[in-house]
Amino acid sequence: MNGACLTPIIPILFAFALPITSILVKGNRRVVMAYALTGTGLTLVSALKLFQSAYSSKEPLVYTFGGWTAPVGIIYEVDRMSALIALVTATLMFLIAIYSYRYIEEALEWYFTLYLGLEAGLLGVLLTGDAFNLFVMIEVTSIAAYALVMFYRDRGDSVVAGLKYALIGAVGTTMYFLALGVLYYGFGTLNFANLSALIHGLSFPVVGKPWGNVVVASGVALALATWAFLIKAAVFPNHFWLPEAHPAAPSPISAILSGLVVNVGVYSLARFVYTVYGGSLSAGLNSVVHALSVILMFLGAVSALFGALMMLVQRDVKRLIAYSTIMHMGYLVMAVGVGSQLALSAAIFHMVNHAVAKALLFLSAGVFIHAAGSRNLEDLAGLGRKFPVAMFSLAVASLSLVGVPPLNVFFSKLLLFNAFMGKSFLLALVLVLSSVTALVGYVRVFYEVWLGKPKGDVKARESWSMSGVCLVLALACIVIGLLAPYVVSHYIDPAATQAVNYKLYIQKAIEYASKVKLGL
Amino acid sequence: MISLLWSVTIVSLIVTLIISVYGIAAKPNLVKKLIALTIFGDTANVLVVLLGYRVIYPVKPPILPVWKESALQSFLNTAVDPLPQALVLTAVVIGMAVNILIAFAIIQIYRIYGTLDVREAGRFLPNLLRRGE
Repeated sequence: MNGACLTPIIPILFAFALPITSILVKGNRRVVMAYALTGTGLTLVSALKLFQSAYSSKEPLVYTFGGWTAPVGIIYEVDRMSALIALVTATLMFLIAIYSYRYIEEALEWYFTLYLGLEAGLLGVLLTGDAFNLFVMIEVTSIAAYALVMFYRDRGDSVVAGLKYALIGAVGTTMYFLALGVLYYGFGTLNFANLSALIHGLSFPVVGKPWGNVVVASGVALALATWAFLIKAAVFPNHFWLPEAHPAAPSPISAILSGLVVNVGVYSLARFVYTVYGGSLSAGLNSVVHALSVILMFLGAVSALFGALMMLVQRDVKRLIAYSTIMHMGYLVMAVGVGSQLALSAAIFHMVNHAVAKALLFLSAGVFIHAAGSRNLEDLAGLGRKFPVAMFSLAVASLSLVGVPPLNVFFSKLLLFNAFMGKSFLLALVLVLSSVTALVGYVRVFYEVWLGKPKGDVKARESWSMSGVCLVLALACIVIGLLAPYVVSHYIDPAATQAVNYKLYIQKAIEYASKVKLGL
Repeated sequence: MISLLWSVTIVSLIVTLIISVYGIAAKPNLVKKLIALTIFGDTANVLVVLLGYRVIYPVKPPILPVWKESALQSFLNTAVDPLPQALVLTAVVIGMAVNILIAFAIIQIYRIYGTLDVREAGRFLPNLLRRGE
């Protein structure tokens, strides 16, 4: 039993108490900001503790709510993959909270209420060991994200974009709920460890054998769940909400949406494909999972190429970056579809690197957008020379996302390339082609902002809280890049090894489940 | 007879699901989209309740009166698994929150544009997008 698994409780408590606190302090911005920093800071400390204990113990950590063990109650089961991504999430949320102080000029208390709610949802998705709790946490994340996209509620485009996101997102989560109904009908349980045990024919207390036809139930449930996760991850046929929703939000929120919220879909997919349906399966299930992986690879490849091409024609900076998110999500979904352990560690590393670099790109672009009051690339021309720190960050972020060697994304792209080569030459070709196409898009932003001819006179100075956060993230990009071999061998590979090891995952849940005494 | 009714119910629920997805995708009016979305959510909830249900008689609430193994057998014969209903209860609450948020957004769009038609609201967008923040 590890108390650090309760990390999501911290931000949700802070979120619910914030409106009242804000009334008590009469909406004082400084107090609200200090409150938000305390909330995200404590979460960061807790996530760090969780990360340490996950990496120091050889097994996944389990927390049983109220002492109710696996199939009866909801448990949180944290392996290294969850802990690593949770740490990245908590760190970015803390830094972006600092950035938000200068960027958000009104209704800061409501902004942070939703912000902390979003953080709780994100962490819940990563830590949970129960498919139904995953649904609840995805909904918590989504509702906060819909509302944050509509944060500028007096601007029509924000509300329309948020509404579109909410409609498609609500359909997606309902699909996932249907998938859960089908899973429960087929297996009689919704716990990941228990599902995995039933699929691999291992014994488990309370629900020892499936109730219905496992193959049919898995097929229907995986189809519905994958659809829902692909909507959340904005992969090709379901991508259309993203290029409107991400730019319409305030820049710090765009950074979170593009860096962290889309990861929810990929992470859940990886959890299903690698931990629940991983390893050797019976013939019927194997064909279901094989069909799923082919679909994932195909959609991921289309999404990567499509995103890269659409980047070339955008004039809105944030829209351009949003299309690059679609491209990177394509890579991640392809990697999940490939299904080897190498592909999983590539996906985890790329998820981490993409989160840092994409957040940095949105934040540094946000500095210019805040100064110029426009998202049009032409209006930002030449601003880079007035904001040297932000310009440096923008350069690092865009070069990193292209995959220039000493920076972090290069190494994860290299891992992805190796993983794709192991499956098919075509996938690797897609990776190279889309990267080269995207290069043009990134360089255009970079060139225009730095060397473009200034349009008007912008009177603004660099603020330390915004540019400082950018600088920290830019240094993180460089450091992760320089230490890449160390990071991969010490943090990424153990995470992938543990995520693939479903036997240990089940074993740990059984250890707690066998303690349950029904008293009969 | 019962199995026929059973399959008719399930088929009609699935057809309702498909029609409501069509409604969300194809109707231009935002309020109609919201109505289709609520129908979609409710149908999914009914379907999940139905998947957890079994036709038994007599039905009693799923409460174990005495903590004995002999009581367990009659409990199994008369009770329906309550877990899908618990799942649906959670989903209903979450669905309400999402629907209220969407309803707010629709009202806000009506205040800003004076229309509920997505095609007309879409016509305002290109200029606004350039206005920036």
